[in-house]
Amino acid sequence: MSSSKSHQTEGVSDAERGLLRDSVRELLLKRWPPGHAVERSGNAEAIAALWRDLAGQGLASLGADPAEAGLREILLVFEELGRASCPAPLLGAVGANLALAGQHSNAMRAMLEDLHQGKAMVALALGAFDGDGAAGQVETRGEMLSGKISFVEGAQTITHFVILTGRPAGVAVVASDAPGLKIQITPGLAVPPFSELTFDDTPATRLDLSPKALADIALVTRLACAGRALGAAERAFELAVDNAKIRKQFGQLIGQFQAVQHKLANCLISLDGARLALEAAAEARDNDNPDWHVFAASALAFAGPALRAVSIETHRALGAIGYAEEHEAPRHFRRVHADLARFGGVRGARAVLADFTLGPAA
Amino acid sequence: MTALPALNMGPAANAFRKEVRDWLTKHWTPEKQAAHLRKPFKDRGYDNEFSKLMGRDGWIGVGWPKEFGGQGRSASEQIAFVTEVANSGAPAHAHNTSESIVAQALFLHGTKEQQDQWLPAIRNGECFFALGYSEPEAGSDLAALRTRAVRDGDHWVVNGQKLWSTGGDKADYMWLAVRTDPEAKKHAGISVLMVDLHSPGVTIRPSMALYGKTFSAQFYDNVRVPAKNMVGAVNNGWKVITDALAAERVMIGATRMAGLERAFDHLTEYLKTAVVGGKALKNDPVIRDRIGALAADLEVARQFQIRNARLVEQSKVPIHEAAMGKVFTSELQERLGQAALDILGSGGLLSEDSASAPVGEMEQLLRHSIMGMIGGGTNEIQRNVIAQRGLELPR
Repeated sequence: MSSSKSHQTEGVSDAERGLLRDSVRELLLKRWPPGHAVERSGNAEAIAALWRDLAGQGLASLGADPAEAGLREILLVFEELGRASCPAPLLGAVGANLALAGQHSNAMRAMLEDLHQGKAMVALALGAFDGDGAAGQVETRGEMLSGKISFVEGAQTITHFVILTGRPAGVAVVASDAPGLKIQITPGLAVPPFSELTFDDTPATRLDLSPKALADIALVTRLACAGRALGAAERAFELAVDNAKIRKQFGQLIGQFQAVQHKLANCLISLDGARLALEAAAEARDNDNPDWHVFAASALAFAGPALRAVSIETHRALGAIGYAEEHEAPRHFRRVHADLARFGGVRGARAVLADFTLGPAA
Repeated sequence: MTALPALNMGPAANAFRKEVRDWLTKHWTPEKQAAHLRKPFKDRGYDNEFSKLMGRDGWIGVGWPKEFGGQGRSASEQIAFVTEVANSGAPAHAHNTSESIVAQALFLHGTKEQQDQWLPAIRNGECFFALGYSEPEAGSDLAALRTRAVRDGDHWVVNGQKLWSTGGDKADYMWLAVRTDPEAKKHAGISVLMVDLHSPGVTIRPSMALYGKTFSAQFYDNVRVPAKNMVGAVNNGWKVITDALAAERVMIGATRMAGLERAFDHLTEYLKTAVVGGKALKNDPVIRDRIGALAADLEVARQFQIRNARLVEQSKVPIHEAAMGKVFTSELQERLGQAALDILGSGGLLSEDSASAPVGEMEQLLRHSIMGMIGGGTNEIQRNVIAQRGLELPR
């Protein structure tokens, strides 16, 4: 998408968003049930099969046509992925759609067509636009890439990488089996783990895009991850609330203890605050508000500490019941923290707000 | 100039905002502002004459139904109105309680005679109420109130003590919660009376609150109140009180929010150019991070406010949602006040009456934050409401 193109979402009503949410939730409950989410998270075949199902529902083309689905719809779907602990490579698809839809290169169009049919899967590397300087970037010489990019999600299962480049500003598409590309898994808090990509004169298909358009794609990516974290935090919170209504200690339901009630009340304030701020940011982008990046930074700066606190507090309310990895809660803890620490995290978002309210630092 | 991007609350609210701003520019003149600032701090915000002027031009009751002489404005428009008045610094405290709480109750529970008598006076800015709710043994547990009213012919005879009534020493009337049936369960034996504070037997004892303005204790010693001044049926006062408070919470939140935005604007405007010890404060990375965090919190507080307005416009009563907005915004005020002290250092301790204060209202904002966290139901009670009403946790 070019930066001058309108983001207006035409004709998507709140009721239709509700239907979209219901249909995605229903699909994921069937195809990615909570009882199998942990075991399947490292299963490339299972992820590929799920991706075909999601593509069959039209979700692989999210971001391609803003008149059909804007950022509000994108965030809604990411929330559902977060709830379901589902590692479907939608981030890459949205990034590819935003960057490549409307482009005329045959190779790009073929790749997008495969993506929308569920045959191709994409991982996104923001590189120079990551927001976290430690993520690295690639150098471009003609149609060849060199360099190293870290913290890339979904690299083990996909068919293509879409990489944002700084100089020249644009997008590079690289096949996952391209010569000169090394993929190193880097285990950590995120599940599935991130990967480190090393490019050594790796062939790529390139496309020029304005830095503004690339920054826009990167910001959508950040908000999508925050939406996914919101879904994960909210699901874990629901488990904690349900538990507080049935778990008895000292002869009474733990939900009757004011200490627990206040903890969960604080969580609801944080969850609702994050949701409202994310929705406001998405609506601002969908309405072409020139300050939408400020609303986005507000949402990210708030959601980071707020949702991480929800994640911690829900574990405290669940107690040891929620501490086993086979329980749903730990995977949500991992998701919330992994998504919110990426792309410059809270510090980067606050810096944007400081720039807006105080002007840039000398 | 506001530090945060303007909120788009819809074309009607945006147009109305301009109309309000134009009126304030014309009538809240620099001369009036200067005269107002010469008043002692405890009296600022109250100006009966300005209330009358607002009443004359239709600016009291903008959210009232048209059938009661109001403008019938939506919740979003009301928020726009409250924000503009607060941003201008124009004094509107004198008529706030009458306009927002008393009138709301009269719409729902007043007789035709009461509506005809009291609403025009309130709308004209000529009738000022304060709230007589809390007592020594009834704070968060308001329904434990013991101030007694006993029927005697055409009057109720009131005996008891009330506490912490904001503006009680400046008001003409008290919106008084009294116990009319001591045998009934505690919520069931309460009624509401409109009491003329100039009546024999009323003693008002103001005390200075931490935020620099007064609240009052009142003693009622055989005070005779005309029976026609009871609002709602005998012993139905709890419903009268809670019905009026539900709508009021949204507007209280809007006023507080506008004050916070104004203080944040002043702080950031100062920081843009301030140089202390040869260093520009705006370049300090710790200050920048703190300001960024506060800006995000302010945006979230605004969103809570908008949600509550939308719920009211959909004819829903925000209960736990209003509690969330109240908790978040009042605690944000405390964080903003504390942050200002960290950022401004010793200068942050100076009040707006100190000529050399860098941003004078910040220390007062901090003192005032305590009121937001305990007034109108403590934040601990609000958290109970969120847990029990919002999450349906067991009592």
